[in-house]
Amino acid sequence: MSDLFTFWLENLPTMIDGLIVSLEVTGVALAVGIPLGLLLALGVQSRTLAVRWATMAVVEIGRGAPALIMLQFFYFGLPQAGVSLTSFSAAAFALAWTTSAYTSEIIRAGLEAVPYGQKEAAAAVGFTHTDALRYIIVPQGLRVAAPALLGFSILMLQATSLCFAIALPELLSQAYMIGTNTFQYLPILILAGILYALICIPATIAVSLLERSLSRHTA
Amino acid sequence: MANENGRPKVVERDEIVRALNVGKSFGTHKVLDGINLTVRSGEVLAIIGPSGSGKSTLLRCLNQLEPQTEGSITLAGITIDARKAATKKQLTDLRRSAGMVFQSFNLFPHLSVLQNISLPQQRVLGRPKAEADIRSRALLERVGLASKADHYPVRCSGGQQQRIAIARALALDPKIMLFDEPTSALDPELGLEVLAVMKELADGGMTMVVVTHEMHFAETVSNRVMIMADGRVLEEGPSQSIMRDPQTERAQRFLQAVKNR
Repeated sequence: MSDLFTFWLENLPTMIDGLIVSLEVTGVALAVGIPLGLLLALGVQSRTLAVRWATMAVVEIGRGAPALIMLQFFYFGLPQAGVSLTSFSAAAFALAWTTSAYTSEIIRAGLEAVPYGQKEAAAAVGFTHTDALRYIIVPQGLRVAAPALLGFSILMLQATSLCFAIALPELLSQAYMIGTNTFQYLPILILAGILYALICIPATIAVSLLERSLSRHTA
Repeated sequence: MANENGRPKVVERDEIVRALNVGKSFGTHKVLDGINLTVRSGEVLAIIGPSGSGKSTLLRCLNQLEPQTEGSITLAGITIDARKAATKKQLTDLRRSAGMVFQSFNLFPHLSVLQNISLPQQRVLGRPKAEADIRSRALLERVGLASKADHYPVRCSGGQQQRIAIARALALDPKIMLFDEPTSALDPELGLEVLAVMKELADGGMTMVVVTHEMHFAETVSNRVMIMADGRVLEEGPSQSIMRDPQTERAQRFLQAVKNR
């Protein structure tokens, strides 16, 4: 047993480095993807046909293509078109696209859940369409969408393990590398699992607490 | 009214609302048919009638929440004709002039009571926040809810929420207030609080159009009553005479039914 802990302890710094990369990719993907998701959600409702079709295409490609294919497309595919990206940038772009496509649907559902009376009240007090969105509809819609968005964010952290396929030194890649060197695959993969869980379980609890505090002002 | 005697169309100075031949259809279903209506400054008009008679739709046409499909409506000098879509500028000006109070209050639940009243002033009138807040607090005082300023709407009773909604509409200094069954979602006691505020407004000279089932309010507070059924105006005139001595059989039946409860 103490052998196991010694082994874990020895490799912990490398694993933490990997975890940090995983968190960084997740952070960038979410920071870019969720605001983009909001724009896409608004674009899908646009009255301009061209905008509606363009956003629908972005969303459907993002949701239709598996994240692994997106990663490989950005890392292995784009260089053929003359665009070379580091594995980190490729991962960030690919996962941001996936994030924006999925979150746009979550946000759209949130916006649609805002009662019609709110839109009418906003119009009746003379708000412009933009003001109504900015001050009334989007804040309420995002509140509805927040728990699902955070749940999706946790899934995205786990999805960064796919970046293993494009040689990004994230948590799973580090574990695999240590496994290759030591042949101790089982213990190091368990450690990787524990590290993911250490982030995901508290995050899940935080989401449910947030959910409770968000519902405070609604009937 | 247009060019009857060769003179150009003139909207009399004290006329706030004029609806000419207003119709509204949803598909093939006609809910308003040939409505003519005038509301003068300082007047309180009550619109009563059975459910589905088109009263709420008419009210919602006045501030273009439902654009009419026939005829024209002039409110506070802004004329919107069914044949031509209203411009954004027209809609903003129109809604600034017409305060609206809904049956279901429709306060913004994510904003405090004070923000509910201040934000429209800031965004629509461009009032600085400090000035808007002073005005909001004064209006809350007026509707008897000064202590609720920093609460959220959900913490207020229905009657309080409706009074806040009235304050929110008044904050934009409207020329006319439109009430869409303001007490229908309230139990009778809470409804009284709201009616008291409305009576005070009427006494203060506010021009009001009130769609209501409150017959006592219609008879005692309003100057004029309009009875609607099936999308048409049945009768219209001074409150007391309409409420006590309706001429048409349909109006008599309706008033019988509501008075003998």
